[in-house]
Amino acid sequence: MAAGALARRDQRFGLLLTAPGLAALLLVVLFPLGFAVFTSLFDYTLVHPNHDTFVGFDKYVEAWNADYLPDALWTTVKFVVASVVIEFVIGFSVALALNRVTRFKNVYYIILLAPLLMNPVVVAQLWRMILHSELGIMNYVLGMIGIGKINFLGDPVAAFWTVVLVDIWHQVSFMAILLLAGLAALPREPYEAARMDGASAVQTFVHITLPLMRPVIAVALLLRLIFAIKTFDIVFIMTKGGPGTATDLISYFIYRSAFFGLDVGRASAMSVALLLIVLALTIYLYRYMKSLA
Amino acid sequence: MGGAVRWRGLLAHGVAALFCAAILLPLLWLVRVALTDKLTAYKLPPEWVTPRLHNFVEIFTDYPFLTYFINSVVVAAGSTAVALPLAAMMAYAFARYDTGGLPLRLFVLSSQMLPPVILVLPLFALFLWAQLLNTWFALIIAHLTISLPFLSWLLVAFFQGDVRLLEQAARIDGATRFQAFLKVTLPVTAPGLLSAGLLAFILSWNEFLFVLILSGPQTNTLPVGLSAFQTQRGVELALLSAATLVAIAPVFVLLPFMRRYLIKGLSLGALK
Repeated sequence: MAAGALARRDQRFGLLLTAPGLAALLLVVLFPLGFAVFTSLFDYTLVHPNHDTFVGFDKYVEAWNADYLPDALWTTVKFVVASVVIEFVIGFSVALALNRVTRFKNVYYIILLAPLLMNPVVVAQLWRMILHSELGIMNYVLGMIGIGKINFLGDPVAAFWTVVLVDIWHQVSFMAILLLAGLAALPREPYEAARMDGASAVQTFVHITLPLMRPVIAVALLLRLIFAIKTFDIVFIMTKGGPGTATDLISYFIYRSAFFGLDVGRASAMSVALLLIVLALTIYLYRYMKSLA
Repeated sequence: MGGAVRWRGLLAHGVAALFCAAILLPLLWLVRVALTDKLTAYKLPPEWVTPRLHNFVEIFTDYPFLTYFINSVVVAAGSTAVALPLAAMMAYAFARYDTGGLPLRLFVLSSQMLPPVILVLPLFALFLWAQLLNTWFALIIAHLTISLPFLSWLLVAFFQGDVRLLEQAARIDGATRFQAFLKVTLPVTAPGLLSAGLLAFILSWNEFLFVLILSGPQTNTLPVGLSAFQTQRGVELALLSAATLVAIAPVFVLLPFMRRYLIKGLSLGALK
């Protein structure tokens, strides 16, 4: 009976501590989200910003049939897959290298951290300057080694890969640091056993490192995947989604629909759909995070 | 055998050095351009001139960079100051009493994962209605949608561990739950909490989309000021580079203070 009373008091104290934060969170996150769902059912435009005309699910149908939505979705999928996969490969290589070295490790590590905390707007401006087709240093350097000028942001294919590469420059350290933390925490015994048995470096990596690293790899990939879906700033600064729709990522597409297309109702409908995708990925992520704890 | 090991060590240094060069070279170029004068900044092949700090002065005297800087500090400090205590209490309740259970934790994690474009539309409509666009208040509220879930999720990891034993000792000595939290747990976990707060400060410092939509000329922060820089008099490379360096400087000043907790922060507490 005393235990029951104690548990009730614990519970009450927990609720008391949670209440202010939860209230704030409901107010600043859940309420706006509800408002977005509500708005998606009305003909709310920036010309007539009100909820006077109820249109049911019309905005969802409109959004689904919107011009260039398939292009934006396809561009987003290509961008997310390309950047996350390449970041994983480079990040893992760097993590394996840093896990082996002892001299200069601190120097390498500090340099590695640098891009990660930098403002995406800064990163985009920096690369816009370097990659300018006439005035940028990159084309000058490429010219010195005999490569012709590349129109980094003017050609659709080049622009897409430029945005991918800039995102990689900015975010690859994230992957490297998480994977390095995972590698550093691996137990030593399996490696000693493998050495006794005469396993090669490749065999050790495939049969010991990869399986042991699985949960860390899953968390790193999922986190980067979800963050990559949010990408907006680089595109806004460097390409404005263009040329054409070559770099029109979904976040930028929704932003355009609302603030240039002026149709907030339709943009809200797209937001709600994007929300469901991100929620599904988050639930998946949660399972892996629990397995790490 | 020894040869193979040394060769692999060299390869590791090679990979690490190559990677670091790829990160450093663009940044060094940025510093170089920031120290040149306006005309030299455009010259190819690059010319060396005596480094000058003139650009760093000009962005503050001829452009509203001081306003941007102040706005950035106010918004980032304001949202972090509101979020940190609220999040600490909530995270402590999660860690110790599992308040709200799975649904509440998933809600917090999902809030953190939301693409900002989803939230910016309703926030814009709401602040438009409340006539709060172009105010510090609106930006601080908007940044709470980032820092509050981030900190609430992250801080849980700080309250798990040995601090629990100290609390139990305090409770046996007659402290109430609240006293144990306030006088034992918080002081013990303070360094971690503060560096998590710094990370939240940087998230807000770097945030772009909310400020782009919700602010105006008087409340623009550095990222929005930087993004608009290109349109004022064409692109002034030397000035832009100087402004860029000013925008990233605070982050590098704060970096040493949070290095220990950075991995925990970046992996949202999944890794130590």
